[in-house]
Amino acid sequence: MMEAGVVLDLDIKPFYWHLPADRTNIALPDSRPLWDIIWENREKIAGIAHSHPGGGIPGPSYDDVTTFSAIERALGRRLKWWITSADAAIVAVWTGPGPITYSSTPCTELEWMKTLRQVSQRVQGNEGIEKEQDHDHAGTDSPGRGEGECHIRRQER
Amino acid sequence: MNVTYGGKNGDLPDPVHFDATDGDIRGWVTEAVRGGNIPGIDADPGADFHDFVVDRFEANDARPHRLIQLRPKTPFGDHEARVRAAIDWATVEFANTLAKLAQ
Repeated sequence: MMEAGVVLDLDIKPFYWHLPADRTNIALPDSRPLWDIIWENREKIAGIAHSHPGGGIPGPSYDDVTTFSAIERALGRRLKWWITSADAAIVAVWTGPGPITYSSTPCTELEWMKTLRQVSQRVQGNEGIEKEQDHDHAGTDSPGRGEGECHIRRQER
Repeated sequence: MNVTYGGKNGDLPDPVHFDATDGDIRGWVTEAVRGGNIPGIDADPGADFHDFVVDRFEANDARPHRLIQLRPKTPFGDHEARVRAAIDWATVEFANTLAKLAQ
C-alpha cells in the first residue's frame, strides 16, 4: 500500500495523478509540484482525493484538514476532499465555524476510485511502475484526464 | 517575496532578507495581508499563514534575483492514526481468515 492522490476537474474526473516518488504507505509528503498544478489550474478543479490504508469508513486526519484549509485559503475558494479506503469512500467539505471544521459524509463509488486504489496498491521499485511527473500534460491532453485511467509508465531498468 | 492568498498573487513592496527565518517571513506576510499592504491581494484581517510553506529559489538566467515564495502546505497523512487504522484492519482480516480456515 502506498498512498496516492488525484486532482479532480469540475466534472469530478481525474485531472492529475499525484504519485510522488517519496510517498509512503501512510503519507503523501509536502509537494511543491502538486501546489503548482493546483494553482495553475485553479479554475478547473473541483477537489482532490487521496487514499488511506486499511478498510472501513476513512476520516481526515489533522494533517489532512490543515492542508485542506491552507489550500483553500490560498485559492480563495472551497474545494471537495475525497478520501478512499480499501472498501469505502467519503467526501469532506468545510462546514465551519472553525477554520479546520470539516464534515465528511460517505459517498457513492466513483469510477476513478478503483484506479486510485489500484495505484495505491502498487509499490515503487516492486513492480517497476512509477508516475510520470510531466506537468505539461496536466490539464491538456493528459492520457489520464477524464478517462479514469492512470498516467503511469513502465520504468526502464 | 511573493505571496499567494485568497486566489490572488502579489509581492511584498519591500525586499526581505533571503536568510530570514520562516517564522519571521510568515509574521511579516501576515501583518502585510491583514493590513492590505500587498498590491494585488485583498486585505484580510483574519489572514493566517500558519500552515503555509516558505520556498526559496536562487537566481537563474530567467530571473536575476533570488525569490522567496509563501504557498500552502500540501501533505496528506497522519502516521500514528493511519498505522493504527492499518493494524486494526489487518487484525480483522487476519481473524476472518483464521475463522474461515477453522471451518
